Amino acid sequence: MIQRLLPFLTLIALFVILSIASPNFLTATNLSSVVRQTAVINIMALGMTAIIISGGIDLSVGSILALAGLLGTMTMEKQGIAAGMIVGVLTGMLCGFSNGLMTTSLRINPFIVTLGTMGIFRGLALIISKGLPVHQIPPSFSYLGEGTLLGVPFVLWILLFCALAMHVLLEHTRLGRYAFSIGSNPEAAYYAGVPVRFHTTAVYAIAGLLTGLAGMIEASRLMTGQPTGGQGYELTAIAAVVIGGGSLRGGEGSVLGTLVGAFIMGLLANGSDLLGTNPYWQQVIIGAVIILAVSFDELRKRKMTA
Amino acid sequence: MLLQLKSIRKHFGGVAALRGSNLDVAAGEVHLLMGENGAGKSTLMKIVAGMQEPDGGEMFWQGSSVRFRSPAEAASHGIAMVHQESMLAPHLSVAENIFLGREPRLPLGWVNRSQMMQRAQSIIEEHHFPLQARWRVDKLSPAGKQMVEICRAIQQGSSLLIFDEPTSSLSDTETQEVFRIVSTLRARNVGVIYITHRLEELRMIGDRVTVLRDGETVHSGALADLSTNDIIRHMVGRELTSIYTRTPVPPGEELLRVQNLTREPVLKDISFSLRAGEIVGLAGLIGAGRTELCRALFGLDAIHQGAVTVSGREVRIRSPRDAVRAGLALIPEDRQRAGLATALPISYNFTMASLNQVSRFGFLNHSGERRIAADYTARLRIRASSGKQLAGRLSGGNQQKVAIAKWLVGHARIFLFDEPTRGIDVGAKAEVFQMMDELARGGAAILMVSSEMQELLQVADRILVMRQGKLSGEFAGRCTQEQIMRCAAFESSPATTEEQPG
Repeated sequence: MIQRLLPFLTLIALFVILSIASPNFLTATNLSSVVRQTAVINIMALGMTAIIISGGIDLSVGSILALAGLLGTMTMEKQGIAAGMIVGVLTGMLCGFSNGLMTTSLRINPFIVTLGTMGIFRGLALIISKGLPVHQIPPSFSYLGEGTLLGVPFVLWILLFCALAMHVLLEHTRLGRYAFSIGSNPEAAYYAGVPVRFHTTAVYAIAGLLTGLAGMIEASRLMTGQPTGGQGYELTAIAAVVIGGGSLRGGEGSVLGTLVGAFIMGLLANGSDLLGTNPYWQQVIIGAVIILAVSFDELRKRKMTA
Repeated sequence: MLLQLKSIRKHFGGVAALRGSNLDVAAGEVHLLMGENGAGKSTLMKIVAGMQEPDGGEMFWQGSSVRFRSPAEAASHGIAMVHQESMLAPHLSVAENIFLGREPRLPLGWVNRSQMMQRAQSIIEEHHFPLQARWRVDKLSPAGKQMVEICRAIQQGSSLLIFDEPTSSLSDTETQEVFRIVSTLRARNVGVIYITHRLEELRMIGDRVTVLRDGETVHSGALADLSTNDIIRHMVGRELTSIYTRTPVPPGEELLRVQNLTREPVLKDISFSLRAGEIVGLAGLIGAGRTELCRALFGLDAIHQGAVTVSGREVRIRSPRDAVRAGLALIPEDRQRAGLATALPISYNFTMASLNQVSRFGFLNHSGERRIAADYTARLRIRASSGKQLAGRLSGGNQQKVAIAKWLVGHARIFLFDEPTRGIDVGAKAEVFQMMDELARGGAAILMVSSEMQELLQVADRILVMRQGKLSGEFAGRCTQEQIMRCAAFESSPATTEEQPG
């Protein structure tokens, strides 16, 4: 039990330590900046949670984020904010859908499929933009990433809404249950008449939709559409899921765990900024945390099944 | 004594797997270890082989007290285990597997390949195994893989070999091969511990027998002094006068009709029908196409020609999903792999094939699901703490029940059981038959594939026989094992063979 709670305890401990160590940590400005910084990864990681539960993986989400943000902002230049948002989110969903479709119909390992599409989506973004960022964005679009509602960052509301929706999806719908079944034993699910292909594809499409939304938030925060944005985000998203108890073997993971995982990484980054740690060390620390978290989790599982 | 175990205890979490197990094995004897699933046989052997450490009790090896912390430590004392599922590196050669971790070396850590090949080949030839040192292991049959494991044990100079259900996945000829190897080992004064569920093979190889029940040794003695019924009584802890009795009901409407079903080259022109309330056996040799027939009916393999009619309506079954919709259920032979999500709670497994029953507009009804889980756990006497328990933590027989229960929750009326009793013990077998009987009396039609002829004769109302992808005969009412055998192996017999002389 104590080991299952370990990610939560780590998060709380981190919070307490940083509150004591840095006078600037426990301030409204700093905390809302942590929330803003983590929101993008967090929303992507929610989608990744569903994918990992279903036994898959998506390496292309960083590229999807860039392509969605780019197409969204380009639309915004001429058609306005609403049209841009829709195009951005739909682009993400379409990318995820094609990942799912290729995995299920070509029967290729999703690691390989999304390794391929990681390059394809990134390349498309560069081709369409000719490598140049989009700058002509309506100023009011910045509200999405930088605005506040009822005193808290607007993105926190979006994140909470997405997290709640994903939790309901995973724990209370047929789709979520099938994701667990497919991830735990795809063959048993197929034998039981579960429409494996349909639900696998749906999971990738939903994750793509969330990534598209994250791409729009990222664009709003930077007020540009960056064809080169989001590089390496896929690994951070995967790390968040894994720290939160998700298993790359499938069948395990939770929304709450992923949120905790993403915030642990967010606090680590923020903490080392505040304490003036050499930024190069940040990567070492985060890497070590990932390995520690997973080894504790493996230990717990081995104890259970031995 | 080669090996002595005294009141070995082992707990997993709150569950006691072993609560005082004793076992003595002498050099040059074949010692049978019997017990129901979950009796603790595997745990006990894992302790002997150094894969797990005991919580209490003592272990003596050649008279001195020992405790193994790793398989390597057990191996260095001369103890080796031949696993039920092969523990070999599939992409390496036979020789490389035999010498894995113990390769003959040249200076600078180079492997002396030629010496390795030579020594491997000489071990193989000395024991007359049909193997070649350079063959790749993944190309071998299950029996071949076991031979490699045995060679490995011999190479290590093992004086005690543990066989964990070696014949459960082998054909008859392969089984004979394993028996021959075991007797060679005995002749060389090696001690053998042999775990098996197959009562009929005991007498062919065993010298002494130890029976475990609920983690305790309940009997240990010479095999010659025991009747098979005695052994069963010790295993189950109660008298089983007859393992199972079937009370046939008059068959009702026709539920399944198969006409001229063909799938080249494994199934040819197969026609038969199943009626409500019937249990129909499907006999045949390995490779006759029985599993293939189940797979084709269930939509796992495409049908090239022929028609399938369910309750009078012709159906086209192209996937398991279609099959489930048509009211079919398949309990596959390999239940762990294809029948159960072991990392998920048993309640998830119960409803996997019929989630529509506990969901509305895509949303799950958790309390409904809990009710179903509680209901079936009780009805099938599944030993689980609650519906939340992970399926993988149940014993083999209970896992089997969960795999079957999955189909009881839904609306299946036509059940295809592929080797339902393979790898489970007598007690669990009786319960599976009981379940089939109840299903049939409730109006289901059952097709049961089995390689155990006795079992078919006992359980089935009718027996279909397959040979080389064709139906080669049908036996209604009384017939003998020999008649079925002849039909499965040799000439085609007329459709009604009742009057044929036995």
